[in-house]
Amino acid sequence: MEQLINEIKLKLIDALNLDGMTPADIDDHAPLFGDEGLGLDSIDVLELIVLLERNYGIRLANPQEGKKVFQSVAVMADYVAANRTK
Amino acid sequence: MLTIKRFASIPCGTDLTALYRATVGDYPKFFKMDTACKLGFLLAEQLADEPRFTPREDRAVLMFSTCGSLCNDRHYEETVREFPSPSLFVYTLPNIITGEIAIRNKYEGETSAYVMERFDPETFVALVEQAFQDSVTASALCGWVDCRADDDYTAFAFLVERGGNGKEFNVDNLYGTVNQ
Repeated sequence: MEQLINEIKLKLIDALNLDGMTPADIDDHAPLFGDEGLGLDSIDVLELIVLLERNYGIRLANPQEGKKVFQSVAVMADYVAANRTK
Repeated sequence: MLTIKRFASIPCGTDLTALYRATVGDYPKFFKMDTACKLGFLLAEQLADEPRFTPREDRAVLMFSTCGSLCNDRHYEETVREFPSPSLFVYTLPNIITGEIAIRNKYEGETSAYVMERFDPETFVALVEQAFQDSVTASALCGWVDCRADDDYTAFAFLVERGGNGKEFNVDNLYGTVNQ
C-alpha cells in the first residue's frame, strides 16, 4: 500500500502541475481539498477523475462518490486497490 | 502625498520553490500557481504587515506587466491537443495574480491588473495614484511582474501608503528604488 500511496502522490503532482512539490510534502491523511490540506479546489476534481480513469481504469460516474474517494491520498489508495481494473 | 513604505524584488534565476520553503512553507496552494503568480505571491509575502491575515478593505492590489498570463497560456496550449488542463486553465488570466494575493492576505480593497506595451513609470505611478482617489484606500501593493518565460522575468513590488515617512512615490523615486 505504501508503494501505491507514493505512486498516487507522484501522479497527483504531475496531473495537477504542482511544480516543485515532492511526495514528502503530501501527508497521506491530510484532506486534499480546502485550506487545511493540499489546497485543491473543484477545478482539480476533473483532473483527479481523469487520473483514476487513465491510470487505474476506474470510472467515477457519480459525483458524490468523488467526494468520498478524494478525501485524502490514503483514501484514494484504498479505493484504487479495491476497484482498479488495470 | 503617497509614500513608499517597503520595496521588494525577486532577481531572475531565483529558485522560487526554495524561496517559498525558506520564507513561507505553509501554503500548499503555492505549488499550483504558475510562475507569474508565484512571483506576485512571494513579493506580497515580503511586503506583508504584521499581524498577518487581518481582513482589510483599505488595501488595493495593482499588478502591471507586458506579458499578462502569456507564459502560462503557452503551457495550457500544450495540453489542449490531448486533455485541456483545468488546473492550468485557471491561470490563463492576468488578473489571477492580484486574486491570489488578495485571497492569501485578506486584502479586500480594489484589485486591478494592467497589461502595458512596455514598462512606463509615468503610467504606473498615475494608475496607482488613481487607486487612492476613493475614500477607502489607504495603501496599495503595486508591482511589476513580467513573466516572459518560467526562467525569464522581471519582478518587483512596492507597498505604497497615504502619508507615511518613506520617500514620496513618484516617477524619480520609482526609478531610483528599482535601480538600486
